[in-house]
Amino acid sequence: MTRLLRRVARGLLGVERPLVYYLPWLERPGLECVLILSNVEARFKPEYKYGPFKLRVTQYDATGLKRAEHRVELSDSTDVVELPLSSTGAICGYVTVAGDCTHSDLYVTLSDGVTYAATHGRQEFVEHYPFWSRAVLAVAGRVLSGLARTVPAFVRYQYAYVGAGSRSDLLLLNLSNVTNRVRVIALPAGAGSNVMIRIPPMGSHLLNVANMVPSPAQGTRVVPLRLEGNAWFNLYVVGAVHSERSAQLSLMHVK
Amino acid sequence: MSSRLSALLSATFAEPGYEHLVELIHQRDAAGRRRLETLDVEFYDAGGHLLAAQSADPGLEILDLGEMIEKVAQSRDRVLVLFDARYSERVFPYRPHHYAYLYRPTFDDPPLYYAINATLGGVPDRIGASRLNNFETYLFRTRGFAERYSLLLGSAARFTDVEARVTCYYASATTTTTVTLAPRHHAEIVLPLEHDGEPLARVDLKSMFRLASYVVGRRASTGSLVLFDHLFTYFK
Repeated sequence: MTRLLRRVARGLLGVERPLVYYLPWLERPGLECVLILSNVEARFKPEYKYGPFKLRVTQYDATGLKRAEHRVELSDSTDVVELPLSSTGAICGYVTVAGDCTHSDLYVTLSDGVTYAATHGRQEFVEHYPFWSRAVLAVAGRVLSGLARTVPAFVRYQYAYVGAGSRSDLLLLNLSNVTNRVRVIALPAGAGSNVMIRIPPMGSHLLNVANMVPSPAQGTRVVPLRLEGNAWFNLYVVGAVHSERSAQLSLMHVK
Repeated sequence: MSSRLSALLSATFAEPGYEHLVELIHQRDAAGRRRLETLDVEFYDAGGHLLAAQSADPGLEILDLGEMIEKVAQSRDRVLVLFDARYSERVFPYRPHHYAYLYRPTFDDPPLYYAINATLGGVPDRIGASRLNNFETYLFRTRGFAERYSLLLGSAARFTDVEARVTCYYASATTTTTVTLAPRHHAEIVLPLEHDGEPLARVDLKSMFRLASYVVGRRASTGSLVLFDHLFTYFK
């Protein structure tokens, strides 16, 4: 029923959902962010197993600005290219990858030069709203944000962790061309804190959950979160330690 | 128990010294809707011996696996943990996902968050396994890091051995290791970082049916886990 209502609402608002493969990126001093690009899955598909494969990597920053565009060519289905993402002065964002038959095998890595952590991207979609429906959402969003609410078109649940020495932050990705007001509620509702985050079109936000829930003196506190957004969004979990001695972070996709 | 319940067997590995928190239901929905019917947890050593078994409260949101392992593992380096979940297909249209938070206190490595493998042993068609052979792949960065890599492999089968072929790819060469796992056995397969001066670029895992399989990276100086990830599965 909910799915049907969403479909009807999308039709009324004129929303289109072109398929997009995306990966998150992060920057901080002492940390290198490198993409691993490949099309190794194509070797199982006779019609696609021979290259070259041309990829276009478009890098958006947290404000949704297009910061860079990279052209990469994979000579065949087993070729691998490591693409360092140049410093943009921003702290996070995501890249979209367009190319021939590319649905998987793309990783983002974070390294402090000694070790690295990795996760993969996702084949999903970006929502495109026409001008008039963007205007409708903008008005509704402004009105509701005055009440510390948003249009809860999409709701996600995610556990976060805040420990004495570590935590999991959330990298929120606005996968739409409208401003996404995301309300993050620490559950149980009413007992925990909540924040409103305004993410520009194609923008991102790194949410430090320790700012919502204090760290325990020892052990790790589990923080169930409910996230409501007025347009499509997804998230990655970012592992961090509190210690200033380590710049290294980990990244992980979620379902 | 209702015969309409679906089943899912998931598997992970646990080592002493880590905080290891398992989400029984990843991304829970409205309270009360996303309850499992039952969840049994079993622990096995590398030789397939059952170390402990217990039923978890299916109403729990988080299982403290780290605390359980401290009691169960004793002097063992690593334990195979099987999660046998029964759930209503109506409530979980796809399947419940178990995710986990993994952190080694007093070390400076960031915590890891990972998806727990769904393995054969539950109801295969519910996890998309319609063919016999499994083919999994993982890519590595090829510059040198102070990190060593391996595959953690475990068999959730009850009746038969399974042969797994691990192939490492370097720029101009491959090396292959074959390992046979008896039911509930597990092993860590070290992936050589170099071959004739060429760095490890990719690993493929082939087996006749789905194994518990993770790529792990350990900091060379401490052995701490800095990478704990699933491989990409093709022929499911």
